Amino acid sequence: MPTMRCSVIVTCVALAALSLPLRAQELTLPLKKDSVRFAVIGDMGDGTKQQYALAGQMVAYHSKFPFDFVIMLGDNLIGRKNPADYQKKFELPYKPLLDAGVKFYATLGNHDVSNERFYKLFNMNGQQYYTYKKGNVRFFVLDSNYMNPQQLAWLEKELQNSGADWKICYFHHPLYSSGAYHGSSVELRLLLEPLFIKYGVQVVFAGHDHVYERVKPQHGIHYFTEGASGELRKGNLRKTDLTAAGYDQDRTFMLVEIAGDEFYFQTISRVGQTVDSGMIQRAAKTAASWPKVRPGQGGSPDRTVAKAVGVKLTGAPPAAR
Amino acid sequence: MKRRIRVTHPLLWLSLLVFVAPGFASHQRQPQDSEAVRDFKPFIARVQAYVKMQKKLEASLPVLKPTKDPAQIVEYQQALARKIADARRDALQGDIFTHEATERIRRIIHRSFEGPEGHLARRTMQQDTPFKVVAMHVNDAFPDNIPLTTTPPTLMLKLPELPPGLAYRFVGRTLVLKDIKAELVVDLIPNALP
Repeated sequence: MPTMRCSVIVTCVALAALSLPLRAQELTLPLKKDSVRFAVIGDMGDGTKQQYALAGQMVAYHSKFPFDFVIMLGDNLIGRKNPADYQKKFELPYKPLLDAGVKFYATLGNHDVSNERFYKLFNMNGQQYYTYKKGNVRFFVLDSNYMNPQQLAWLEKELQNSGADWKICYFHHPLYSSGAYHGSSVELRLLLEPLFIKYGVQVVFAGHDHVYERVKPQHGIHYFTEGASGELRKGNLRKTDLTAAGYDQDRTFMLVEIAGDEFYFQTISRVGQTVDSGMIQRAAKTAASWPKVRPGQGGSPDRTVAKAVGVKLTGAPPAAR
Repeated sequence: MKRRIRVTHPLLWLSLLVFVAPGFASHQRQPQDSEAVRDFKPFIARVQAYVKMQKKLEASLPVLKPTKDPAQIVEYQQALARKIADARRDALQGDIFTHEATERIRRIIHRSFEGPEGHLARRTMQQDTPFKVVAMHVNDAFPDNIPLTTTPPTLMLKLPELPPGLAYRFVGRTLVLKDIKAELVVDLIPNALP
């Protein structure tokens, strides 16, 4: 019986993906040769029909934009963590992607238990924090629930030793967030941001606040919050001076393509609406340089709910919240 | 035949001044450090003894390697928790957090939360989920269905470093020494938060 139930759910995900209006599934990413392609999800593991619907949308986009892996920003399994929960909250919603060979790289959120690191499909290899490389991109995956001195020392060593063109960090708690429920993790920022600046991290992803937000570059670093891939706090984004773009009306996921010095992103809602998109140009390695953000790569204006606004290319960074 | 080493070379004197004097000076400036070392010594020894026991019990179980089968992960965790709880069936609150360590940790937490940067540590904890009152005892399973409260990272810089496999966790106002492999409460300090 569980097998039958499983196949029914997977069929529902597939049907949901197929029945989505094609006009909604517009791709703004350039699909360049040999680019690094991945999806971003956060706070997704609640096992609700909304999580399944968003997963269906990811499946639909995968056929247009065949991403190789997905980064998970934590809260992978919300609530109970029995073996059946691993199925209901992860394996079933993402089964078509898993079957297609897409790998998932998880970080731990405040709803996770540390033994999830032994779950092979999360690719943590038994580590609470770890690093991996894809093409010219090095990912640093941190456990922001427990930022102890050992982890900080490890991060500094790994950042220092990395010669990758792109250095991307991801973890659960956002250093900058305009989410009303949690907001910025200021104490964590005091410890991490100096390392990010010193060793040239360009992009940081986090979840925790159940909204989508792209923060204006802070000290040249681009911060994204994607915490609405299952859970959602509708209307919880209080746009501030930090906010470059944001969306809090529905579940979302991100698609990212990195080609050479260009980082393209597209944020898509549960119904296939593009709510943000753009391109970040990798800056030359000088402290004074500011990466450029080009909003709305190819997305039609009426579908772009939130667009990049007021990005300064020179001068002091916006005041930290 | 014993040889007495005589420090006669000027460079040797210079190196002594460079390497030994600063340590001595800081020792003089911070007399509390040696008291902290003294207070934490039994705590650290007990933590090390716990980890030794944990490793021994782990060795009696099949090695947990990354697996696609979540049942293996859950079973391993529960089996290890049972073995540890059995081995420590007489354990009491305060067995690892000794009285001296408890008092010193309380003072460190109070200073961290009430000092000039205290608002940051308070905010770290408050911005998670509101404190939940959960009654906890030594050898209890750590609840897996309540969200974790972030342990303030600046506080962790001041507390004695723990070996892998153990973590400081706050549940409400209680500081828990948690076994993260067995998801078990090893010891606790109630009302640790000001």
